[in-house]
Formats: sequence, structure tokens, C-alpha cells
Amino acid sequence: MIDWDPLILTFELASVTTFILLFISVPLAYWLSESKSRIKPVIETIVSMPLVLPPTVLGFYLLLAFSPGDGLGQWLDEYLGLRLVFSFEGLVFASILYSLPFMVHPIQSGLSSLSGTLKEASYVLGKSKFHTLMKVLLPNIKPSILTGIILSFAHTIGEFGVVLMIGGNMPGKTKVASIAIYDEVESLNYSAANTYSLILIFFCFIILLLVYVINGGYLKKFWQ
Amino acid sequence: MNALTGKITQISTDGKLSIAHVLVNDVVMSAIIIDTPETLDYLKLGQEVQVIFKETEVILGIGNQEGISLRNKLPGVINKIQKGVLLSKVVIDTSAGLVTSIITSNAVGQLALDVGSKVTAMIKTNEIMLSQ
Amino acid sequence: MIKLKFQKLLSAPKGEMNLDLDIVIKEGSVTNLFGSSGAGKTSILRMIAGLMMPDTGRIIVKGKTWFDAEKHINLPPQERRVGLVFQDFALFPNMTVRQNLDYALVRNQTIKVIDELIEIIALGDLQNRKPDTLSGGQRQRVALARALVQQPDILLLDEPLSALDQKMRTELQSHIMNMHRRYGLSIILVSHDVSEILKMADEMIVLKEGNVTDKGRPADIFTNRKVSGKFQFTGEVISMEREGFLYIISILIANDLVKVIADEDEVKNLVIGDKVMVASKAFNPIIKKL
Repeated sequence: MIDWDPLILTFELASVTTFILLFISVPLAYWLSESKSRIKPVIETIVSMPLVLPPTVLGFYLLLAFSPGDGLGQWLDEYLGLRLVFSFEGLVFASILYSLPFMVHPIQSGLSSLSGTLKEASYVLGKSKFHTLMKVLLPNIKPSILTGIILSFAHTIGEFGVVLMIGGNMPGKTKVASIAIYDEVESLNYSAANTYSLILIFFCFIILLLVYVINGGYLKKFWQ
Repeated sequence: MNALTGKITQISTDGKLSIAHVLVNDVVMSAIIIDTPETLDYLKLGQEVQVIFKETEVILGIGNQEGISLRNKLPGVINKIQKGVLLSKVVIDTSAGLVTSIITSNAVGQLALDVGSKVTAMIKTNEIMLSQ
Repeated sequence: MIKLKFQKLLSAPKGEMNLDLDIVIKEGSVTNLFGSSGAGKTSILRMIAGLMMPDTGRIIVKGKTWFDAEKHINLPPQERRVGLVFQDFALFPNMTVRQNLDYALVRNQTIKVIDELIEIIALGDLQNRKPDTLSGGQRQRVALARALVQQPDILLLDEPLSALDQKMRTELQSHIMNMHRRYGLSIILVSHDVSEILKMADEMIVLKEGNVTDKGRPADIFTNRKVSGKFQFTGEVISMEREGFLYIISILIANDLVKVIADEDEVKNLVIGDKVMVASKAFNPIIKKL
């Protein structure tokens, strides 16, 4: 029998990360879709960086930044009692950065694809930008938001390098499924590694299938 | 509404009134209008214009019309007659083009008009409008 | 009074174009903006609505300054009492027809406004439909109703009828004119359709490459300079009675009904309600002192 803790932890991490990401990404994607600012390309680049950087790079710098021994890490520890290294909170923080593009990109492209006259019509009808975003823009990009949610969730499940660097391998706290597989292989326990892997393959398949089913319009009738 | 296309060949102006001569194919037609070359931009020599007049203003005559004051005389042959109780519509093939006249059916009978009859369609100068 | 005096440098297909407008519109009138595409008509509407900012000038509506470059006043679209019917209608796809109208309600307005509009513009049967299930004409009606919910000071129509067939056009023109009379709306209408302009507009502004090249009554601009007849009016066809090969056409000119005899060829394209020009030579009418 395998230890279920890493799997439960993985889904917990993915859920919390996705939930927080949604609230960060909507304003960020909205700003990116609206802005003509000169710093927009810089922000876009930063958001997309996790797509190309090895996760270990991100993990390494987060580790340095959050070590309770110095600087930012010390300040967080002293004043907020928040320790981001080798803790679940730290994993959430790192996962948010790591999965940011997967949430921001679909929402941004969804917002950009809407006809500009929709929001103008709403403004002319006297509605504020926030009201327009909530009542007109977001409801019309539901498939994009759903894509963002599912992709961020799936991507967080799949992360390894960042977690290993900043979370380590603490059972019940930071030992997520991907780490557990690595761990089992290290100790030559191939059958446990196989079980974890199969479960992950199954879940990721289902999740990605959902994305394609939704974006292909097969689920459209349920969303209208 | 009869509308024939021609070119302005002569303009005589006196005060606010002008008489324009328009050459339609080989017939010269004249129109008097309350305009001068200053007030109407297309009133100029060589300009292509439409000569417009109402069917009910077209008088038909047979025989010799030399002693008649009308300036616009278009000889032709009757092409079609549509007879009503009071009025009839007569279409005349003139060298300026097809011209329609509406006259009383009584007159059609008195002049013994029929398809093929030779007639002259006549319009008073003050009944003709110009249009671009 | 609606005072529009502003300039804006626009980037047009043929390079930069300076849009320069200086007009005064009478309240409660229908004004047509006429000109080829790229003449700056849509930009003018957008600047009135506050969706685009002029470089210089003023926009004053009913004594209220909406825009003044010198005084740095620029009300956002939310604060301008303006209704705008977009070329693509811009109905919210996630809402039903009814919800689209409800969305436009402002505080201390009651549902009654919407019920009334639904009644006048005949949207009763469509209330629960989503915009993507509607035909072009139906969408147009919804967009018109939505723009009127807040009872704006100016209604801006951007070629609203161009996509419709003749029958729908006539129907919508009469809807718009009904609303115009009912609420005393000032309307600015972008249109190219001569009969539409003659039917609806009191004033016409002709634009060419951002400049006003002509303005006046549409009938004057379209007709007076074309036919030399001096006894000339525009009116609306009220009835057409056939008498053999002739027709007796009754035409309402201002408040007077006149009758004109016309040949069948002349009435071929005429229907009741059409705007027509009636012209005769000044030599024919007689005058008698009353």
C-alpha cells in the first residue's frame, strides 16, 4: 500500500495555488489587455519567464530570498511569523510564480479577443470599469477562465524543481507527489513510484482532456 | 415626365431670367428659367443637361405649324396610343427621342390620331425645366 | 443647444488627417453626418461620447460642458448623457435581450422605462432570447432600445441601418422617428442613404477629409441645386390612386396636402411614406391675395 499523503498534499497545493492565482491574474490580465504603457512588454516578459526558465533557477533564488538567516526572509520571519522556506506557504508562493503564465495568458487573450465596443457600450451606459469587467467582460470569456484554472492546476501538479529547491522533502508538509516518486526511485522502490506515476498520468489526462473538450465547444451548452 | 438629354448651345440672359437653347440630337429646344450662369453652375455652353417636361404639357398638332408661337416643335410619328375615357396617352417617336403626351381622348378622335400618324409634339418654353 | 467645436489629428489610410468641426445643433433635431468612409464621421461620434479625446476645442450640451481643452474638462463617457448605437450593435452576448436593457438602468430609474421601450419597439417576444439568436434587424432594435433606457440628451447612430434590407430599414426608421418625437431627442445620424436622410434628418453636415464642406437642409443639398424649377418642395407620399394610366399622388408638404398627376412610369419605384421632391416651373402657379 502506498502513502496517500503526497497525493493529497499535491492536490491541496494545486487547489490553493489556483484559487489565489485566479484573483491575482484577473486584474493583471485585464491591465495587460488594456494597457498601452511602455512597461507593458517588460511585465509581459516577466509573467512569461517561468515558461522558459528551468524551475530550479526560480527555486534557487526563492531559497536565497526567503532563508530566515538574512534579508527578506528574516524580516518575514520576525514581523509576520512567516517562514517561506521548507513550508507549505513557501510552496504556494513559489507555485503561484511558477504557474502565473498559465493563468494570465488565457485570460489576457480572452479579454483581447472581445470586441472593444462591448466595454465602450458599457461605459456609455454609465457603468464603471470594474462593473464592466465583472458583468460584461468576464462572463463573456468563461471558457478562457476555465482554461486558465485547469492549466494552472495541472501545471502545479507537475512541478518538481521549484518544490525540491524551496520545499525540500518533508512528509506531510512539502513532500508532494512528484518528490515522492523521485524519493521512491532513489530507494529502489519501483512499484510505489509506478503507482504514484500512474495516478498522476490518469489525473493529468483527465484534466487536459477537459480543456480540449471545453475549448472545442463540446461543453458549450453547459456554459451558456 | 419626359426627360431628354442634350447640350446647351446658346444662353441669353436678361436680368434674372435666361433662355437656354439645348441641342437634343438634331433638334434645338429652348427653356426659360429664373436663373443666370452666376446662380446655376451647370448653365454654361457645352454642358450636358436634361430637358424635363410633363406629359400633360405636350401639345400635339397635325399639318402645318408655322403660324404657332411655340418654340419647341418636335415632328415625329405616333408609336403607341393608350386610350382612356377622358384622357389618352400618346407616345411619339421624334428625332429627339420618344416623347409622351397626355391629351384628351376627344382630341385624339377629332384629329383622327392613330399609330403611324405624322404629328408634331410642341411644348411651351416656360414649361421646360433643366436638370443636371 | 449642442455646440461642437473641436479639432483632432487622426491617422487615416492616406496619412494624417485633421478633423475640424465647428457646428451648433438645435436641441430636438436630427442631424445627419454625410461623407465617404474615412471622412471622420465615426470619430466625431466617438468624441461626443467621450470614447476619444479631441486635441482642442469644446463640447457643450444643453449648457453643460462635456469637454473643454483649455479648462481641462473631459467628462468620461459614464458622465455624459449620451446614447450610442454602435455599427456592430455591441449587445452583451452573455445577457438576454431583457437583461441587456436592465443593465442600462441607472439608480432611481424604474423598470417601467424598460417595459415602455419593449412595448414601443416591439421586443416583447424577444425578451428572453440571447443576442446571437437574433437577426440583424432585431439586434438593431435591441441596441436602439438599450441606448434609450437612460433617456439621453443626444442619441448617436453610426450607420445603424446599413446592414438591413429595405423593409426592415423603413420599419426601424419609423421606430427611431417615433422615439425622436416622443422624447424630443436630439439625434446625430451617420448615414449615406439619401432617402433615409431626406426622411429623417432636419440638418445635414457634409464632411470631406475631416472638414465640413457643406451644411443645410438635406432637401436643399440634394435637390435644389439639381433641378432648375423654382416651385420646389419636399413632401411625403400619403396616397397613390390609379386612374387608368395615370396616378393621382397625394403628397403632404409641411401641413398642406397637395395632389400631383403622375404617369405610371414615374410611380414605379414609389411607395407610401416615401419622401419626394415636387417641382414645377415658377411660371405656372397663380397667386391670389387672401
